[in-house]
Amino acid sequence: MDLDTIYTGFFVGILFGFALQRGRFCMNSAFRDTILLREFTLLKAVGIALLVQMVGFTVLAMSSVIELNPAPLLGLANVVGSFVFGVGMVLAGGCASGITYRVGEGMVGAMTAVMGLVTGILMTSSGTLKTVMDELLKRQPEFTADVDDLVVSSNKAFTLANVVGVPHEVMALGIAAVAVAIWGFFAWRNREEDTDEAGSYRLVERIFKRGWNWFFTGIAIGLIGMLGFWLSYEAGRPAALGITGGYKNIFNRQFGIGADPVMDWIGMFIIGTIAGSFVAAYFAKELKLRAPSPNTLILTFIGGLLMGFGAVCSGGCNIGHILSGVPQLSLGSLLAGAAIVLGGWVTSYVIFVLPQRAS
Amino acid sequence: MTEPITPTITLDERGKICPYPDMDTMTTLKKMEKGEILEVLLDYPLSVERIPRSLKKQKHKLLTIEHLDGPNHRLLIEAHGLE
Repeated sequence: MDLDTIYTGFFVGILFGFALQRGRFCMNSAFRDTILLREFTLLKAVGIALLVQMVGFTVLAMSSVIELNPAPLLGLANVVGSFVFGVGMVLAGGCASGITYRVGEGMVGAMTAVMGLVTGILMTSSGTLKTVMDELLKRQPEFTADVDDLVVSSNKAFTLANVVGVPHEVMALGIAAVAVAIWGFFAWRNREEDTDEAGSYRLVERIFKRGWNWFFTGIAIGLIGMLGFWLSYEAGRPAALGITGGYKNIFNRQFGIGADPVMDWIGMFIIGTIAGSFVAAYFAKELKLRAPSPNTLILTFIGGLLMGFGAVCSGGCNIGHILSGVPQLSLGSLLAGAAIVLGGWVTSYVIFVLPQRAS
Repeated sequence: MTEPITPTITLDERGKICPYPDMDTMTTLKKMEKGEILEVLLDYPLSVERIPRSLKKQKHKLLTIEHLDGPNHRLLIEAHGLE
């Protein structure tokens, strides 16, 4: 790994952390709020980011700037791992990227969640929980299809495009076009509901002082994801953004696990993300060291632990599988994404909705 | 100058993690009588933006959002009461 090029990871991280903090971009909130508060604001931001990347990655791959790298299909490990991840993120009060940006804001609950996440990652990648993961990985589905004819990438992962047997660009651009058409229809029908009150502020103030609206957030996250894929590819890490791998890299280095002598691109990216969020929170005057009750701190640690286990089992967190994986149409990522959402919904229902009904 | 409003109930949600500020606010309002005032102290930026949207949906009236120092905010809400 080239030392000069990994600093682009730090740079992309700064942008990513800044955008996460300004847009309050968290997939735990995005999915959970749909059943809890009937809120779709963050979900719309996630949708826009996925659309931008679905088109963006395809264009970058077609112009040979990057090579697509969809996550492999892991079957049961995707389902179990990502479901556990979804349970964990509700307990932790944020997804992998959500708790990472909130560390930069000074939220102690997010810091304990990250400690849990790191513990879970290390226990599963090289500790006691590795046997559990290996058991899950043994139960991989057998496919008879001849993947060689269908590949979109050198890693021969199954994607929505190659199992159907159409070129990636046709499938990706087709899905994006259909999504835009459906979205446009509903946006037009509900055009009264969306009012953006930020329009009266000056641009500088809108970027640095105010929370971003969902549309701007989605576009920004999508573009940063594209930039990240490109710079990461240039640095010798041919993959889109992820969170789990970054923490694993940082802490493997600290504890002397593995052979990689330097911090790699994705580790620098994580450090940049926390720094970027810190800068954003500082300028917006949202920086404050603040902590919930001790009970909550323990709960967020446990949540983080479950997320770490789940992400390593499934081969990615909500960023690796949903933000980066779904736009590449990886079957593994689609399965993992669905399991994360389901795990989040079931847990939110049990710990938030049921107690309300009972009272 | 208007008379200072005396809140019926005060919730201190500072330091709490997502989504407790929202959940506590909305469930407390549900149990309040029409016209009663809820005061909420907040320091979680997402909730500062999200609670006003939820209030609108539940027809509670947001009287003021006061920006204190840093991320700290003080909300005064008039409960809509049960239908």
